[in-house]
Amino acid sequence: MTSKTIKVDYLARVEGEAALQVKLRGDRVEDVKFKVFEPPRMFEAFLRGRHFLEAPDITARICGICPIAYQMSAVHAMEQALGVSIDPAVRLLRRLIYCGEWIESHALHVYMLHAPDFLGYQDVIEMARDHLPAVEQALRLKKIGNHLMTVLGGREIHPISVCVGGFYRVPPRSELLALVEDLKWALDTSLATARLVAGFEFPDFEQDYEFVSLSHPDEYPLNEGRVVSNKGLDIPVAEYEEHFFEQHVRHSNALQSQLRKRGSYLVGPLARFNLNYDRLPEIARQAASDCKLVVPVLNPFRGIVVRAIELVFACHEALRIIAEYQPPAEPRVELPLRAATGCAATEAPRGLLYHRYQIDERGAILSAKIVPPTSQNQKRIEEDLWHFVPQIATQPIEQVTLRCEQAIRNYDPCISCATHFLRLEVIREPET
Amino acid sequence: MPCLIVACGNSDRGDDAAGPLVADRLRALGIPVEKRTGEGLDLLESWSGAESVIIVDAVVTGAPAGTISVWDAHRAPVVRDVFRASTHAFGVAEAVDLGRALGRLPKSLTIYGIEAAQFEQGSPPSPPVLAAVEQLAFRIAQSLEAEK
Repeated sequence: MTSKTIKVDYLARVEGEAALQVKLRGDRVEDVKFKVFEPPRMFEAFLRGRHFLEAPDITARICGICPIAYQMSAVHAMEQALGVSIDPAVRLLRRLIYCGEWIESHALHVYMLHAPDFLGYQDVIEMARDHLPAVEQALRLKKIGNHLMTVLGGREIHPISVCVGGFYRVPPRSELLALVEDLKWALDTSLATARLVAGFEFPDFEQDYEFVSLSHPDEYPLNEGRVVSNKGLDIPVAEYEEHFFEQHVRHSNALQSQLRKRGSYLVGPLARFNLNYDRLPEIARQAASDCKLVVPVLNPFRGIVVRAIELVFACHEALRIIAEYQPPAEPRVELPLRAATGCAATEAPRGLLYHRYQIDERGAILSAKIVPPTSQNQKRIEEDLWHFVPQIATQPIEQVTLRCEQAIRNYDPCISCATHFLRLEVIREPET
Repeated sequence: MPCLIVACGNSDRGDDAAGPLVADRLRALGIPVEKRTGEGLDLLESWSGAESVIIVDAVVTGAPAGTISVWDAHRAPVVRDVFRASTHAFGVAEAVDLGRALGRLPKSLTIYGIEAAQFEQGSPPSPPVLAAVEQLAFRIAQSLEAEK
């Protein structure tokens, strides 16, 4: 029996530089390595010495798809360090701008990046030839999310209005009311999106995941809550580092995060949905029920449906916030300086994002720690492939490759914002 | 309707600065230019409603650094690998292909590429690229003048 090496050089539709190597001997998986070879980006190092007010703008540069997530975790961590609390109206505006990011990011992933896998197209361009209205819908949805971010943040990529203590500028009520018609359309379209993707075919694959997300008593989580899991974890964010640790593995430049004594876990839409289902608004729960989603959803391929349900939530939540919005008396609070350490976690579209900063009495950052969602999902992605590949190993190698790519995209991995491709290599070795 | 000029690229990544530098030269001549990252969906949005569009970006075709290439988007498919991929590998070429699939291409869409040699973070552009920037800015300014 001859051995086979198959390479797919440009797997697009993931964020950042990474490769996957799967070694097969017959139908047996011998090795799976999800290799992030993108060079370390040193953000934590070059935050040192910078003024604490710069943290949201510097960390936003980590990602062009989810800058709000970085800004939100940064401002909340700094506010926790300084012991300040923000105006409730500012808190609502932060939820609102986060909704904008969820809408643009989820619309991009559901339609442009993940749907082609399910519908059998090489990419969204090929898909557009047969599904023109769907792609037009995706573009408009994404634009509405971006526009919401622009109105609140000053611009859609790396917004400039978010700051520690609040916003540099808050919009008058009229600017938000002008968004309502578009958001109503987006809500209807999100419901249609959920119905559309629920009709896809899903591989028969379930795993006994440990789901981890924020959990808030009254709200679907965005900016605050305890860190909880379906396997008994229930801690304040301040104890995050006592329970989670990052490990360097030889084949990856991104640290792999694990739960102490338990190993891999999953963050992102699937985790949020399973752990916070009862805090979704009725319209989203009804949509989930119409889509035959049963909590807990254990099939990661159904994550595309869950993302669509979160689109419904984000549009509904944005409309709710706009309806009750009254501008805060002050856009931001005074920040009394002190030497302190603060941490926060918020829910990026791809999952939990943890920041911790230590600052001195002049406000200079002494140390920073950032744990992004993809480093938390990295180990879980490998484990999914360990279990999934044997199910499909008898298929032609091209099919195995495509299914592996699809399984990786279940996680909407965001490896960085530099150059962007995932090189996939399946090595089939002779059976012994 | 005036021609929309969109310059793509990152000023802090070596020869990827070609687009923004052409923009600076044209602006100095009083010609409005939009600077964009080159992300495909953003580009598609940027030319919405425009009839005539010029895009300037750094390319890698294998030619010597500073070589200027031109594509007419309506005449031939734009080769995807020559443009530096942006977010999720969705850049200029993909924007043109998706625009074509959606019937959203402007009536006239010309793409100018300046051959890049290196994209090192924080490094200055190569001398041949700087020379090409001057040439291309002059060429675009002349072509706009001729159309008046």
